[in-house]
Amino acid sequence: MEVFIAQIINGLSLGSIYVLLVTGFNLLLLVAMIIHFAYPQVVVFSMYITWLVLQLTGNNLFLGALAAVASSVLLNLASAPLFQKVMKKRGEVDINSTMVLSLGIGMIITDVLSHSFNKGFPIAFPDQLSGKTALLRVGLISILPGQVSSLVVGIIAVSGFFLLLYKTRAGRAFRAIAEDPSGARLVGIPLFKTGIESYALSGLLGGIIALLIAALLGSASPDLGEQVAHKVLAVSIIAGLGNLAGGLVVGLLLGILEAIVQGYISGSWSNGIAFVVMLVVILAKPKGLFGIKL
Amino acid sequence: MLAIEGLSVSYGQINALKKVSLDVFGGEIVVLIGANGAGKTTLLETALGINTPLAGVIRFKDRAIGGVAVDRNVRAGLCLVPEGRGVFASMNVLDNLLLGAHNNLKNAGKHLGRVYDWFPILKKRKDQIARTLSGGERQMLAIGRALMSSPELIMVDEPSLGLAPIVVNDIFNILRMLNKEGYTILLSEQNANKALKTAHRGYVLETGTVTLSGSAEQLLSDPGVREAYLGA
Repeated sequence: MEVFIAQIINGLSLGSIYVLLVTGFNLLLLVAMIIHFAYPQVVVFSMYITWLVLQLTGNNLFLGALAAVASSVLLNLASAPLFQKVMKKRGEVDINSTMVLSLGIGMIITDVLSHSFNKGFPIAFPDQLSGKTALLRVGLISILPGQVSSLVVGIIAVSGFFLLLYKTRAGRAFRAIAEDPSGARLVGIPLFKTGIESYALSGLLGGIIALLIAALLGSASPDLGEQVAHKVLAVSIIAGLGNLAGGLVVGLLLGILEAIVQGYISGSWSNGIAFVVMLVVILAKPKGLFGIKL
Repeated sequence: MLAIEGLSVSYGQINALKKVSLDVFGGEIVVLIGANGAGKTTLLETALGINTPLAGVIRFKDRAIGGVAVDRNVRAGLCLVPEGRGVFASMNVLDNLLLGAHNNLKNAGKHLGRVYDWFPILKKRKDQIARTLSGGERQMLAIGRALMSSPELIMVDEPSLGLAPIVVNDIFNILRMLNKEGYTILLSEQNANKALKTAHRGYVLETGTVTLSGSAEQLLSDPGVREAYLGA
């Protein structure tokens, strides 16, 4: 029973990270109208910047958090003009060109990380971030304070995002563009400016995610972004591309599924089993569990 | 208020508008009459800033606005109630209305009160998803949303499209009422009879050119208009 409870907590904190990643990905898809396959790579890049700042400042957590958010927002904003440039027509998703550009950005990030940081070796985050002493320990499984705090922050970030989406002027404009870009333009919503806001917001989410992953895993490697990118794309397709509520459910389920597999079968099987389950789902429901919303 | 001179617009090879000139003065209701594909929607959308003109001048309140971004024109007091209503079906009535005030959120409360006074049904349905509204209610929502932007000139594209005759009467009464409240209105219509009885002046648009213009009475009694658009 303890194993089960521990793995549910683990699964929820992992799942809330997936949820945030899929939400940022879908936001860019719905509002900026790009397929940003490499969004998780941007997040991992921010983890590296955070690590660097922590090293330089003697583990100043505040400056580290600031660096995570700032680097992710800046990198996202810097990529915006590139995406705008390759898109043929504003007002619709140009899957091919934005996806190719995004893959390119992802490769560059992975290469930079493997050449220019820590000689390409995986980086380890200081114990202050994830906490040293386990709150709960059952055999090989333990719950660290970092897991609990990443779960709490994850829940706050997800609810904050949905509040913003449904209760603010910017969120209303996001939803209008997501539903009907040309209609939104007719009403007087500036597509370009609102698109840039969505880059900034998904960057902000990315910074928070970078901190959560750092607290949960305690380490990162250059190819982490790529691994996560496959999962994020899979989750968003299974939930239904662009479906925010669907992403919330499927992201949490995937986190719990992986944690349960890790707890009862083996950690090395968790990716394989997760992808087999997702493959079965997508064969049965090609448009995703909750339907495509584009 | 709106002055269009020698306006030409083309979509690739197709010339949608050819040297169209048109004036709308403050306080007027002006109607554009024309069949499907005559260029009515193109004219309204170009004035709003959706299309870039090939040639010609568009002036709104004495400022040239050809090629100016839509949100700036909306801020300046121009707005369009699109054909087929263009309400956001998955959002509730209140959110739809607030979208109209996107560039003017400070005054949203005041405008919202007035819109609810004019359209009590929208207040009653404010938390309802727009998808569940009837055609007439959607048209009212689209007009209400336009009013939220504190416009001076409201352009209405085919307000009677797909509505029952009794609802069409309501909509034209609303437009007349808004005109009395001081809004200038430019509308496009295939339903020429109703529109001309509501409007002060009209223009007849055929395959991208203005073929006839005059006061509403003149157009109503014009034999050509009667034959082509009034079915007499």
